[in-house]
Amino acid sequence: MSLLLLIPLLPLIGFAINGLAYPKLSKSIAGIVGTIPPLVAFVISLQLFLNFDGQTQIIQLADWIKVADLSIPFAFQIDALSIMMLLVITGVGTLIHLYSMGYMAHDAGFGKFFSFLNLFIFFMLILVLGANFTVLFIGWEGVGLCSYLLIGFWNQKNSYGDAARKAFIMNRIGDLGFLVGIFLLIQEFGTTDYQTIFSTIKDGTEVGNIGLIAFCLFIGAMGKSAQIPLFTWLPDAMAGPTPVSALIHAATMVTAGIYMVIRANALFELSPEVLHFVGWIGLATALLGAAIGLFQNDIKKVLAYSTVSQLGYMFMGLGASAYTASFFHVMTHAFFKALLFLGAGSVIHAMSDEQDIRKMGGLKSKMPITYLTFLLGTIAISGIPPFAGFFSKDEILAALYHHDFAMWCLAILGSALTSFYMFRVFILTFWGDFRGTEKQAHHLHESPWSMTIPLIILAVFSVGGGLINLPHFAGGNEFLAHWLAPILPEPHEVGEVSFFSLEMGAPLVAAFLPAIFAIYYFGIQKAVPGNDESVQGIQKVIYRKFYIDEIYDFVFVRPIQVLSTFFAQVIDFLVIDLIVEGVGKTVKTASDEIRKAQTGNVGYYIFMMVLSIALILVLTLRSRIL
Amino acid sequence: MTAIIALSLFGISNLFLGFWFPRKTIQLVTLLFLVVSMALTVSDWNHELLWFGNMFRTTNTSINFSLIIQLAAFFVVAFSKAFGQDDEHTHPAEYYAIMLFSVVGAILMVSFDHMIVLFVGLEILSVAMYVLTGSDKRNLRSNEAAIKYFLMGSFTTGFLLFGITLVYGATRSFYISNIGTILTTTAPESMPSFLFIGVLLIIVGLLFKVSAAPFHFWTPDVYEGAPTIFTMFMSTIVKTASFAALFQLVSGIFGSLYTVWVLPVYFISMLTLVVGNISAVYQQSVKRMLAFSSISHAGYLILTVSSKQISTTSSILYYSLSYTLATVVAFAVLILVSEYQSARVEKPENFSSFEGLAKNNPGLALCFSISMLSLAGIPLTAGFWGKFFIFSDTFSRNIIYPVILAILMSAVGIYYYFKGIIAVYLKAGEIEKIEVPTLFKMALWACTLGTIILGIYPSLVKSVF
Amino acid sequence: MNYQPQDFLPIFVQLAAALAFIVLVMVLTHALGPKRHSAKKDDSFECGIESIGDARTPISVKYFLVAILFVLFDLEIVFMYPWAVNFKQLAWNGFYEMIVFMGLLLAGFIYVIKKGILTWEK
Repeated sequence: MSLLLLIPLLPLIGFAINGLAYPKLSKSIAGIVGTIPPLVAFVISLQLFLNFDGQTQIIQLADWIKVADLSIPFAFQIDALSIMMLLVITGVGTLIHLYSMGYMAHDAGFGKFFSFLNLFIFFMLILVLGANFTVLFIGWEGVGLCSYLLIGFWNQKNSYGDAARKAFIMNRIGDLGFLVGIFLLIQEFGTTDYQTIFSTIKDGTEVGNIGLIAFCLFIGAMGKSAQIPLFTWLPDAMAGPTPVSALIHAATMVTAGIYMVIRANALFELSPEVLHFVGWIGLATALLGAAIGLFQNDIKKVLAYSTVSQLGYMFMGLGASAYTASFFHVMTHAFFKALLFLGAGSVIHAMSDEQDIRKMGGLKSKMPITYLTFLLGTIAISGIPPFAGFFSKDEILAALYHHDFAMWCLAILGSALTSFYMFRVFILTFWGDFRGTEKQAHHLHESPWSMTIPLIILAVFSVGGGLINLPHFAGGNEFLAHWLAPILPEPHEVGEVSFFSLEMGAPLVAAFLPAIFAIYYFGIQKAVPGNDESVQGIQKVIYRKFYIDEIYDFVFVRPIQVLSTFFAQVIDFLVIDLIVEGVGKTVKTASDEIRKAQTGNVGYYIFMMVLSIALILVLTLRSRIL
Repeated sequence: MTAIIALSLFGISNLFLGFWFPRKTIQLVTLLFLVVSMALTVSDWNHELLWFGNMFRTTNTSINFSLIIQLAAFFVVAFSKAFGQDDEHTHPAEYYAIMLFSVVGAILMVSFDHMIVLFVGLEILSVAMYVLTGSDKRNLRSNEAAIKYFLMGSFTTGFLLFGITLVYGATRSFYISNIGTILTTTAPESMPSFLFIGVLLIIVGLLFKVSAAPFHFWTPDVYEGAPTIFTMFMSTIVKTASFAALFQLVSGIFGSLYTVWVLPVYFISMLTLVVGNISAVYQQSVKRMLAFSSISHAGYLILTVSSKQISTTSSILYYSLSYTLATVVAFAVLILVSEYQSARVEKPENFSSFEGLAKNNPGLALCFSISMLSLAGIPLTAGFWGKFFIFSDTFSRNIIYPVILAILMSAVGIYYYFKGIIAVYLKAGEIEKIEVPTLFKMALWACTLGTIILGIYPSLVKSVF
Repeated sequence: MNYQPQDFLPIFVQLAAALAFIVLVMVLTHALGPKRHSAKKDDSFECGIESIGDARTPISVKYFLVAILFVLFDLEIVFMYPWAVNFKQLAWNGFYEMIVFMGLLLAGFIYVIKKGILTWEK
């Protein structure tokens, strides 16, 4: 219990030390101070995992809010789900901290960066540890803040600051929905406590507005996990340093929405129409993300759209009530997407901050470790067996197959797109001839050990991560499913799957064919995407991300700007200022008048006193005396 | 209870210590005395007892009030940097002794069970305050303030005493518990009307001490004239003690005469809120602004007097504590800044003296701003919860309009409190690093931290009260 | 509770009488006395000696201190009379209380002496 408290506390201490001592601390010490907390937290989490007896534990820390009948304690909940999340956050977190020591070594804001990272880990841990929606919300907002700080980390550049703001505002829209959901929960249940709410539901008590609550909560998830229509911030968020993209915008924070939906599965199970909605939103996002990813030339942008798309898959799984599958995908995705981002970071590092794959190529020989690990990550995300991504994605697809055939077909299409664009990026980056400048070629080098070690570890997990939920047909025992069983609803019975059915075959075809095509087209034909002007037709539409940013700009931003100009120049000036300043002036004038009553003359003071006493006596007692 | 005896003896010994020890030692010893007396006060916790011929009652409420008073005294002593520089004319030992004596008076006022004890306590406190107000002997303003305070104070003491005699005349008892029984068992029609006059006069006498309008006229003049350290003392200790006495009388034994006093009290409360807040807006002097601010806070407190919720006592205690912590810090920073500016500008206590404080004294600026925020009642400070509890208690008693007025007036309050913050942070000015003694600094941060902690986690003390 | 407002009537009558007497006398003296002013007559001392300086001569603060101390101790000593009268009934308890009282008084006295208030010339 006391050890448990250390898990969130250590990153907070790390944040405090680095935050307060920056910039006095030397870089090596700052790096160590930043990396130790998540590492120790990981060890504690591991120990917690090994000793876990299946019992949900609630740890009350303090009475936090007590207003009338509402009581919101600051409490942590330890159960199968939160332990798994702890492991992912602290584990991947530690690796990325380690990686950052190499990646950020030349940055002036080194200590600041680590303090923000630690703060992020702290809030993320609060998010998953919280025993009620309110504590979860603290973490939820906190990671949003850290995401904002880290996206805009290089705030010298205006566009980066804009990206940070965009992320923040989009998240705020989602958070508003989430907040409304919490208020509705309080209204309907009188508490935000997980256990109370879920046991109330389990008892079969009639509670109104469940559908609305689930919907509002999902709006929150849409913002945080970048689903249509709130997904455009995530690609822009790539403005942040690459480790941040790996940690926050791929492995942990963006999966908070999935975590929350799994956590509130009881609520969602009661509102099938919302679940249906979740599934279709997920599908649409998955396809859109994959489609945009096809023609992007910025290595991080491709990965970002791929993340959007993979998050879509997870929501699809949730929509089909395949919670285990979705969570499984959360975990494997954390491994391979962190790996890919870090690999991309390693490439960018070597290329002196060049992110355009058209200017790369042939890095295979110069950066063997990065090459190999990136390859493993690519295979994993494409869903080629027996790598981690295959099992988790396949499980989602299997659930969809039984849930809704149309959805399944489209999901297979998305999976094919994924395989294609990932291999495209991989081949353009590492195969062929170098297309960059002389200077870059001269500078090319393999990254230092602090960057390659995380890559290797993550690569191992990307390859073998499927083992934690190896399905029966592949000889596994579905460990994760059993582990999570206590907090999830009864899974739908799925018949025995044969390896050669349509259900199994289609995903394999969807994984292999596009990969082979990509290898042929980009590897053997050595095709390289032309420059921005040469793209035409539908390709241009996709390359321009379906003009979604522009549409948003036109539909939402412009009208709001017009409205706000109107308010600022007309309403504000004519109405508000008149009232507000009028009130202010009245108060000031009144003050000037009343202050004159303070004459400084004692006789006058006493006279006023006696007069008022007489007045009080007369007014109060007139009925009694007379 | 033994705290009273101890404090009296400590006061006397303080007088003698002055012959042998320097100012610094006496200050530390006085702090020690206050710690001891606080410990003695705490030792009565959960023992409801009567003392001194049943004239003095210790309850948990009275102990809480005594503790707040002694805590305030502790901070005032800690902040008493210097009463002028030369020992010969400033008599530090005597001032500390008088402060201890006045604390005795304040404790009597919060734990009385006999009208005479109330009166004696009030007089001990008041006479001590008259002296302390005039302690800056060579300053005309100080002399003027003292004589004004004395004149008006003794005048209202007369009202109080007259009220007590009238009540005695009607009930033939000085004992609070006896009076209470008689008032509740007798039908109002058969009570003599001079009883009501007596009740109102007692209330008026105490309202004067908490500086409620229209008995507030002395406050700005006296607060401004008195040495700042004693203004701090006045605005915290005198106010808390008088309000505790008022609250115990009005919500206790006079509770059955609700209809008699409720309208005047609400009228006075609203008038106080308006006068205090509105007048403060125009003030140029921080000290005078704080004087009006203390008037307006009295207005908020009086609102609660009749809200007979179970939580009211704790709300009032919480409010007193939060107000004390914030006020003490505000005055403490004022002492430092005005001392620094006294050689440089004509009016060292004006807002303009604070301009640019944040540049070289970020700590002082932060403490001052937090205390201003707390006084204005901005969330995450103790002041916010203080106001919140008071408003919600009053509101749940279905007293709507005064609460609405109070909320409006607290919005006005933000204007003049933020004037301080703006001066500190946004205005340009040249203030060098001000040397702050260690003890002073510790007390300053302790109070600021207390404000924040109470603001984040109000149940920490709310559950004790 | 047994008193009625009218029971206090005598007090009010007496108050009124006292007030009326004062007012009456003042009005009467002003109304009846002959008024013949001259510079010499309005002087403080009209017996022929020119007045010198101000009547409000400053007096050493020590004089006031001694006077006030005298009053203070005098009044506290007065407290001993009722005590002495009731000495038998109060018994030992009363004796101890008087010892405490005298102790405090003595402490004050010592303080006053040590402070040098009673030494006229310093």
